[in-house]
Amino acid sequence: MSAATTDAIPVAITQPLRSPGYWAGVFKRFKRDKVAVGAGLVVLAIILMAVFADYIAPADPTRSSMLRRLRPIGTPGYPLGADELGRDMLSRLIHGARLSLFMGVVPVFIAFAVGSVIGVSAGFFGGKYNTVTMRTVDIFYAFPSVLLAIALSGALGAGVFNSLLSLTIVFIPPIARIAESVTTQVRSMDYVEAARASGAGPGTIIRVHVLGNVLGPIFVYATSLISVSMILASGLSFLGLGTKPPTPEWGLMLNTLRTAIYVQPWVAALPGAAIFITSISFNLLSDGLRSAMDVKG
Amino acid sequence: MSLEISTEERDRGGAGTPLLEARTLTKHFPLGRGAVVRAVDGVDFQVLKGETLGVVGESGCGKSTTARVVMQLILQDKGEMLFDGEAVGSAALSLKEYRRQAQMVFQDSYASLNPRLTIEDSIAFGPTVHGVPKSGAILRARDLLARVGLDPARFAARYPHELSGGQRQRVNIARALALGPRLVILDEAVSALDKSVEAQVLNLLMDLREEFGLTYIFISHDLNVVRFISDRVMVMYLGEVVEIGPVDELYDDPRHPYTRALLSAMPSMDPDNRTMEAPLAGDPPNPINPPEGCRFHPRCPQAQTVCAKVKPVLTRTGAGARLAACHMEIAGSGHSRALGLEDAA
Repeated sequence: MSAATTDAIPVAITQPLRSPGYWAGVFKRFKRDKVAVGAGLVVLAIILMAVFADYIAPADPTRSSMLRRLRPIGTPGYPLGADELGRDMLSRLIHGARLSLFMGVVPVFIAFAVGSVIGVSAGFFGGKYNTVTMRTVDIFYAFPSVLLAIALSGALGAGVFNSLLSLTIVFIPPIARIAESVTTQVRSMDYVEAARASGAGPGTIIRVHVLGNVLGPIFVYATSLISVSMILASGLSFLGLGTKPPTPEWGLMLNTLRTAIYVQPWVAALPGAAIFITSISFNLLSDGLRSAMDVKG
Repeated sequence: MSLEISTEERDRGGAGTPLLEARTLTKHFPLGRGAVVRAVDGVDFQVLKGETLGVVGESGCGKSTTARVVMQLILQDKGEMLFDGEAVGSAALSLKEYRRQAQMVFQDSYASLNPRLTIEDSIAFGPTVHGVPKSGAILRARDLLARVGLDPARFAARYPHELSGGQRQRVNIARALALGPRLVILDEAVSALDKSVEAQVLNLLMDLREEFGLTYIFISHDLNVVRFISDRVMVMYLGEVVEIGPVDELYDDPRHPYTRALLSAMPSMDPDNRTMEAPLAGDPPNPINPPEGCRFHPRCPQAQTVCAKVKPVLTRTGAGARLAACHMEIAGSGHSRALGLEDAA
């Protein structure tokens, strides 16, 4: 063997060069994807808009005026027009981003945590435990998500918290299934066998060898659900199961403005456009993340 | 930071005790509807201290399942293993302690390294599981990298996909050595490498065996490589051991017809002495429903009635310490070419 190299090395004196890690590579590939970067910037802008709504919004989103009902886009003082109660549409859209984003992100985030625990444990331990958990999950998965969300919200009663809860329950099964299938693949890899062969327990193996390889794909899938969650939350509000007026929320705004569709069609379409732009941005962002993470080597 | 392993200190049973003794190891995989794959079916063998036991056989003969059972990655249905005289999994030798003393190198060098960990982290993982502090484990990992011929300053912080197949397999060997094992199972560890790299890694393995006082179980389908590295060879067919013995004796004078067929399938190096006929016809029978009696009898040119009825047991044969499971080697078995009882006496 290469005795020269073996003997000459001052072991551990020189700190080895850090090579760029996996995430650095993902970031590099992501940066090349112009569409995904654009979508990411839009998402960032919407988040900033929601966070700083109080400072950005030109007017109070709940101050109504019976004299200025349903003004068209471009009216002085009402850049995006006024709604059916004479409230400033721009301010309402900016403030509505808060609740809409909240309803999009939070249920998915909770479902990501719960679904990952269910799916990863089922995938890793396999056997009867897997069968029991995954078949239970399948029962929930069998219902169309819209129907399940409406049924749960209806049963729990209207309100933000209850629609949050019902959306979370809707998103746990698909995330758990993705988590289970990814974990099953990783579990059969030789490096997991090698870790078992070195005497590591299941907890250590999951922490060191499974989670790092599994959470990325699950997370990407979860981000693609954010748009679905926003649309479902808007739908619940539209049906009167979510937010209550006068709180601005895009789905609710779409609902209350629908009677004005013949009078001010552009104004009535604005909340829908906001939902559309936000959800498509989240989708393009998660698509970009997925392709950036897919590349091997 | 001492990596020198004083084998003497851990050598409980003494030189005469085999390092590993497998007794009627059996592993059947149920397929549902009553069908079972008899992947490993009553395998007995010993691995002596400091030797390399080669394991050969066709694909699907149970080589890898045997390796995984020996490593206790899958548990046997029947049978037991003694490691240096102590039963594996007993109070005297817990599974965790056994795994510290027995390690494995897998065939697929890429799949056996976590793509998210640097190679020094991969190597250091085993020792940290056994309570070595992280910093000490990293130092040991770098030292081991140097020993397997990879400059730690250049390689320690790299990720598996940045390495070539040969380099990755060196990392896997370093990882296996990180726990200071006495037994290393090499499951087709060099088979996926190209010939020049394979030779380097084989030489490395031989050097490491000397340096660390290791014992190897070397599984391969490459008969030349097995002859090169092994002291003794075990031939498997359909989940059973058909012949086991010292390498030169077995290669020069195979006693079991299957061993003969397998060896004659080696490409001839001499153009004047070409192998003209296929030594064996057909595929190995299905391990789901293996033939009665001797499992090799449907393909055996010397098969007789007794072979289809009675299962031959491993019997001492030839000059030295060789065992073969063939009726022709069993005195009074009923095979016309077997030694008579009077001859054996």
